[in-house]
Amino acid sequence: MNSQAIQILFLKDLFLSRWPMFGYLMGGLLSVVVACLPGETAGFIGFILMVTVTIAAGIHLIGVLLLAESVDMTRTFVMSLPVSLLDYSIAKISVVLVAFLIPWLGMLASLTVLNSVMPEAKPGALAFLTLMFLFMLAGFCLQLVTAVVTESVGWTIVVVVLGNVLLNLFLKTLWEHPVISELHKSEVLSWPPVVLQIMAIEVFVILVALGLAFLFQIRRRDLV
Amino acid sequence: MSTTRNQPLQTTAAASLRGIAKTYKHFRLSKIDLEIEPGTVNGLIGPNGAGKSTIMRIMMGLVTPDQGTVSVLGQPISSREANAKKDIGFFSDDMRLYKSESIAFHMQFVRSLFPSWDEDYAQQLLDRFGLIAQQKVNGLSHGQRVKALLLLILARRPKLLILDEPTNGLDPVAKQEVLSELMKIVSDETRTILYSSHNTQDVEQISDTITFIDRGRVIASNNRDEFVDSWRRFKLQVPPNWQAPSIDGLRTDSTFGNLRVMTTDRYQTEVENRLQSSGATLEASEVMTLEEIFVAAVVRGREEKQS
Repeated sequence: MNSQAIQILFLKDLFLSRWPMFGYLMGGLLSVVVACLPGETAGFIGFILMVTVTIAAGIHLIGVLLLAESVDMTRTFVMSLPVSLLDYSIAKISVVLVAFLIPWLGMLASLTVLNSVMPEAKPGALAFLTLMFLFMLAGFCLQLVTAVVTESVGWTIVVVVLGNVLLNLFLKTLWEHPVISELHKSEVLSWPPVVLQIMAIEVFVILVALGLAFLFQIRRRDLV
Repeated sequence: MSTTRNQPLQTTAAASLRGIAKTYKHFRLSKIDLEIEPGTVNGLIGPNGAGKSTIMRIMMGLVTPDQGTVSVLGQPISSREANAKKDIGFFSDDMRLYKSESIAFHMQFVRSLFPSWDEDYAQQLLDRFGLIAQQKVNGLSHGQRVKALLLLILARRPKLLILDEPTNGLDPVAKQEVLSELMKIVSDETRTILYSSHNTQDVEQISDTITFIDRGRVIASNNRDEFVDSWRRFKLQVPPNWQAPSIDGLRTDSTFGNLRVMTTDRYQTEVENRLQSSGATLEASEVMTLEEIFVAAVVRGREEKQS
């Protein structure tokens, strides 16, 4: 493993994705501001915007950083340099994840800050939002593993659509859950066991998906 | 370049392929053995789809062979190895740069991975190729893109150049510029070049040795001059019921009325005497161009494979 080569590849990809990453970060922050405006309509629009920005960021960044390299044949150029498949895989999976985490964390962090400083905010809602954001991160990791395995825009979009459907079902289930639905009204941030259990499952899915993405990538026999 | 068999992996060759095989759904590369000597220019000639690109990709570790071993510059090569690639410059016709970025971005990127990067030479190449460093890749013509890629390869001073169809699709001026630059590199006898093309004239200009490949098989490999010297075409006026004498290395034999055209890849002057003493009139004994030799070798190779 060549840590210098990994770093160079990582920074190169981060630079290549700077504009979409910045755009989604700005879009995400704007959606959080809209969500925190007074009135139910603003909150609803902001919430929809947050979900939309997160899903769009995931598919766009996977497309720009991962799928485009095989479609545009830039991977042949990169792999002609003194870079091993292991170096390439570590750099690639890390940068796709980091590029997504920047707007994702930006939204979650700003929600946390606004939730703690706004007088009319319900801090308890943060647990619900964390579950939702982790679900979307897990969905992104599943898209990532699909893109790595299939190198297909079509199959990746299928997983995006499935993830979107599942997100709606997931949110509906949370809303209807007697413990979780009460969190929205709570003045105190708490993490009931059911929330922690769901979070544990989400983290498990994220780790397994990332592990599989890395494993499939380094086991690839032909790079062109 | 020479074909070899059953030799140990230890070699002084710049590149060595032993028993390489690779099967795709509609194509098979069959037991390729190649030995590329250091300091030589090697031409790999084959029709489209012959397997030239696959061989070169295997040499770069971009494709993993199903069988066989590859060593380049004395090191084993695979997708898991990066060391050997430090001294290899690889160009492929379908290789692309990041279209939204400039040539300067790519120069900076490649420079960061190569301590051997020669900035002065890079600047000279920019001038010589008429490129502008700040130019975005998506605004480059095909010829400029090829030159930009060659600049990124040549400025790191590789010991081995693997060039897959570098002149494909270039206009005559751009082609000559690229070939001229390669000729300058050729004058440095420590550097080795493997150059593929389906255009025999390009390869003939710069190559010391030539290998013909067709349908995934090496069909002939030899020194360029020996190729030309050993191949000969005879045009004969023959009487009815003429019995051809035995000719070593007879590759093609066609009859057009009284005219008989024969080619051999083991030409010796005594063949002409034997033909004339057999009752035929030797109208011409012609030196063949590399393209004619290539076509004759491919046709014969396909016939042999079918039979």
